[in-house]
Amino acid sequence: MRGEGTRLYWRIQRRRNEGLGALFLVLALFATIYAILFPGILSVGAMAKFVQGWFPTAMVAAAETIVMLTGGIDLSVGPMVSLGSVVAASTMQGPLGISGGVLAVLALGAVVGAIVGWFVAVNRYPAIIVTLALSFVLRGVALLILPRPGGFVPPSLSDFLAGSRPTAAVLLVLLVILWKLYQATPLGTGLIAAGDNAEGAYRSGVGVTIARMCAYLASGVLQALTGLYVAAQTGSGDPIIGEPMTLAAIAAAVLGGVGFLGGRGAMRGALAGSLLMSILINVMFFMDLPLVAQYVVQGLIIVGTVALPLIRASWRRGL
Amino acid sequence: MVVQQAVLGARNLSKAFFGNPVLRDVSIDLVPGRIHALLGENGAGKSTLINLLSGALAPDSGQILVDGQPVAALSPREAHRLGVAVVQQELSLAPHLSIAENIGLGAYDRRGGLIDYGGLAVAAKEIGGELGLVESPDTPVGRLPLGRRQIVEIAKALFIKPRVLIFDEPTSSLAAPDVVMLMGLVRRLRDQGVAILYISHRLNEIIDFCDYVTVLKDGAITADRPMAGLDPNGLVRLMVGRDPQNLFPPYASHATEDLVLETRNFRTAAAHGVDFELRRGEILGIGGLVGHGQEDFMTGLYGAVAADADQFRVLADGGAARTTPFANVAEANAMGVAYVPADRRKEGLLLPHSIDFNLLLPLFARHGAQHRRRADESAITERLAQRLNIRGDRSRPVQALSGGNQQKVAVSKWLPLEPSVLLLNDPTRGVDVETKREIYIALRAMAAEGKAVVLLTTDTPELVHLCDRVIVFHKGWVAAALAHAEASEEAIVAAAMGVRAAPTLQGAPH
Amino acid sequence: MALRLQRFVVEHARSLVAYCAVAALWTAASLAITGFGAYAHLRYIVELAAVIGLVGIGQTIAVIGGGIDLSVSSVITVTAIVLPILSFGPDTTGVAAIALSLTVAAAIGAVNGLGIGYIGLPPLIMTLAMATILQGLLVLIAGGSAISASNPVLDWLGSAHVLTISVSIIMWAIVAGLCLFWLHGTRSGSLVFAIGTNPEVSRLSGVPIQLLTVAIYVVSGFCSGLAGLLLLSMNGQGYVGIGDPYLLSSIAAVVLGGTSILGGRGSYLGTIAGSVLLVTMTALITVVNASEGWRSVILGCLILGMLPLSGRDQSR
Repeated sequence: MRGEGTRLYWRIQRRRNEGLGALFLVLALFATIYAILFPGILSVGAMAKFVQGWFPTAMVAAAETIVMLTGGIDLSVGPMVSLGSVVAASTMQGPLGISGGVLAVLALGAVVGAIVGWFVAVNRYPAIIVTLALSFVLRGVALLILPRPGGFVPPSLSDFLAGSRPTAAVLLVLLVILWKLYQATPLGTGLIAAGDNAEGAYRSGVGVTIARMCAYLASGVLQALTGLYVAAQTGSGDPIIGEPMTLAAIAAAVLGGVGFLGGRGAMRGALAGSLLMSILINVMFFMDLPLVAQYVVQGLIIVGTVALPLIRASWRRGL
Repeated sequence: MVVQQAVLGARNLSKAFFGNPVLRDVSIDLVPGRIHALLGENGAGKSTLINLLSGALAPDSGQILVDGQPVAALSPREAHRLGVAVVQQELSLAPHLSIAENIGLGAYDRRGGLIDYGGLAVAAKEIGGELGLVESPDTPVGRLPLGRRQIVEIAKALFIKPRVLIFDEPTSSLAAPDVVMLMGLVRRLRDQGVAILYISHRLNEIIDFCDYVTVLKDGAITADRPMAGLDPNGLVRLMVGRDPQNLFPPYASHATEDLVLETRNFRTAAAHGVDFELRRGEILGIGGLVGHGQEDFMTGLYGAVAADADQFRVLADGGAARTTPFANVAEANAMGVAYVPADRRKEGLLLPHSIDFNLLLPLFARHGAQHRRRADESAITERLAQRLNIRGDRSRPVQALSGGNQQKVAVSKWLPLEPSVLLLNDPTRGVDVETKREIYIALRAMAAEGKAVVLLTTDTPELVHLCDRVIVFHKGWVAAALAHAEASEEAIVAAAMGVRAAPTLQGAPH
Repeated sequence: MALRLQRFVVEHARSLVAYCAVAALWTAASLAITGFGAYAHLRYIVELAAVIGLVGIGQTIAVIGGGIDLSVSSVITVTAIVLPILSFGPDTTGVAAIALSLTVAAAIGAVNGLGIGYIGLPPLIMTLAMATILQGLLVLIAGGSAISASNPVLDWLGSAHVLTISVSIIMWAIVAGLCLFWLHGTRSGSLVFAIGTNPEVSRLSGVPIQLLTVAIYVVSGFCSGLAGLLLLSMNGQGYVGIGDPYLLSSIAAVVLGGTSILGGRGSYLGTIAGSVLLVTMTALITVVNASEGWRSVILGCLILGMLPLSGRDQSR
């Protein structure tokens, strides 16, 4: 019986790859090209550096995906990352040191996630407007705490998270495992059901409000931790460092097949999407394109990946 | 039979939406080992009653009893825990989750905090076997056709081993062998002592099958008695409150020979090869089981879904002949074709807006480049309200109207455009009897004025008593075309089921 | 007449609340702060509000039509940077440059409208992506430097008065009047409310949704362009980021003015009051504390606080 359950679980997991084949193929292609162009990447050290560059995007893509699966959206990802970095850099000097900083960041993520959840999940205000307004609050708070980049991150932490060791890769694996476990709980499945068919899920006895609330909590914590990581990378807190991440997160999720109406998509798609974008940005960097060109590319990716299926569907409807 | 105590009961339930009473003082008892039929027309309050019994809605007044004890604030979760399961008509499935995950949704067994996939696999196999669910349990539900999803919905209700099982029109999208299977299953469950509430529009099915019946009419109970001694006509009388024949105005044809619309090999995604002719003054009925292409055909005619044809001619007043179907709704409107959707709340009316605004919307859309002249507008809506007998303040939002009055607004909003072809999709769904009669008379009057009326309906008597001609769809094809004299209920139902017996009017199909 | 007045009050109750708030705030501030109530100062407030108000026209129409325009700030920046670049020798009056930059702004709106109306992209995605693309392009074109404009029409717009009323305010009043007339005085304007309430009902009633959507976003682009010009005339220079504060303030003005964020209900009348209210509050905050951080926090909290007035999602 146990074997049967395991088999069922993995068969279900495999079915969720449907529709992601093209993305995985493109990703493999780009990764190969990248490895041929820059053969140095294949060493452990270079790989660790590459994963460190990818890690923040992967984290925010995951955070955005969790929210989008419930049918919501989060436009405050960027400012939240900034605030996370600011809080991390300004609490690590405290009496509790690194652990105090980590606790403060976790608390920040949970509190902000709970606030969004209270508005969106409990009171059902539109997620767009709530998170847009919140993005300004968070940006303001970050500026009030640290008007300019500064603060202090212990070098030991920077070295541990963003040094030569592949810590980021391990953390990513951990993230995937935690997500898999969460998805295997009734709450995790309820999250998809709530996004897919909220009324039906409610009638089936799923705690739709709780599932959504937990999604915003988890998302908030992931975003705040991304801020901590970014602070460790740069060695300081920066009140605007996260700004580009809102769009990067949405772009990665959309690229990974996560739908706007909820229910559709999988974390693996979003992570693959963020990896693809990370490779693109690296390539653009090596091609000496200005950094802002990535904005243009991200915008085009979002519009393109959402528009293509719509256009294809309308052609098919046209008989 | 010894009357057992009801597992689930209701006392004096009342519920209103936007000030419209939907249920009035309704009491009902669901007893173990009994199949209890709940009957009533669309809009009589059946769905609301189910939602109250299963905790999806809270009553305005009255009590719900479980094992004789009143329960305060019943929620779907609590109802599940007490053993009340509903097979919803609007399915409660999550399309992106697998069959197995859907079956257990909301009631998973856990193993160390995680979903017990082992137990789920066993249950899916066991219940699936009983229901003939041959698809692999890892299949995402969104991949299944509607009829199969319905089976998953039933499996999901069985998963919690219910003491009370409520079926909301479970057979409406099931294939015939599945209906037989379901009947057997429900009887087995009854014999095991489950209390069953069964809602269906198929009266013969209900008479054969149910032990007890409660009939709702306009939100109140008109009968609550054992089934024995009731025949289909008796049931209809209870539901409608009068003899079915008296509902319709006396039949009189106003059909002329002038073609207004003609197509050859008209096709959409779900309708195929339709040859279609429509004449001035005619009421043409369209029948068929739900989902056999007739809705697609009608919306395709209207330019609302993509369609193609070998020939498409509109001969409406002054309209030139053409070869392709309408590309969009605006074009159809410009050529004098109007459409009244079946789901008036989602497709027909702007619920929060005023009656006035709703009545003017098609006019504004058709002639958008003009200023608004409030005095003229007021005169127009005044006339419309008078003609269709819509009383009261017209600045009220339409959601404050009863279903019948809403439907009148949805129909009469087209009259300012003076359409020559009126397409109606189930116009009497969820409408009280009096308004039904008013709508029938209005349709007749429009035909008499020389309009062509196309009436798609799920209510077979309307096809029989109202229409000059009836075409019946089966699997996307026109299975029969019947003149008024040939259009008996038997002939229509036979054609809809795909039984080839009916003689055809327009020569042999391809 | 009394009935019509009563209807008007009921229909615009939320807008009227915003006007009352402005009146109360102005009265209280005039009594408390010397110089606040001076004509020149109040005029200055309204001049500042004109920029938000102009952006708010497009935003109001987009929101009533069931969408949202997150590209307004980028369009403002585009016009503020494109105009100086387009100012060339033979165009001594500067009219050609203005016409060209407004055309660019409207064209950006048209692209938004085409993506939303014809392809079916969610407004959020289309306009957000547009904003990002424009932002990237602007940095590539203008870099980090500010570009000064010398344009006679613009100079006049920024400084002239007619009967002691600033030209910028007059311009706002004219465009606002046109907008109000479109929304409430024409049939096509009422259709905006229809598609914002329920696009499917509108489509089946023959409303040309796609065309109307393009029109909505063209108007939004055009109005943001006007706002960009006005801002440039006040600032004298255009630079990347000049439009950034106006995204949230335009949405805030819409929400403060009582237009439902869910679409289908509202009026630009409220947004006018919302714009003035917003500028007044910002001015008062600045008196107490000029920090950018506080402004951002208070603006965000203001919108969150106004949400209960703006309607919630009924679906579960």
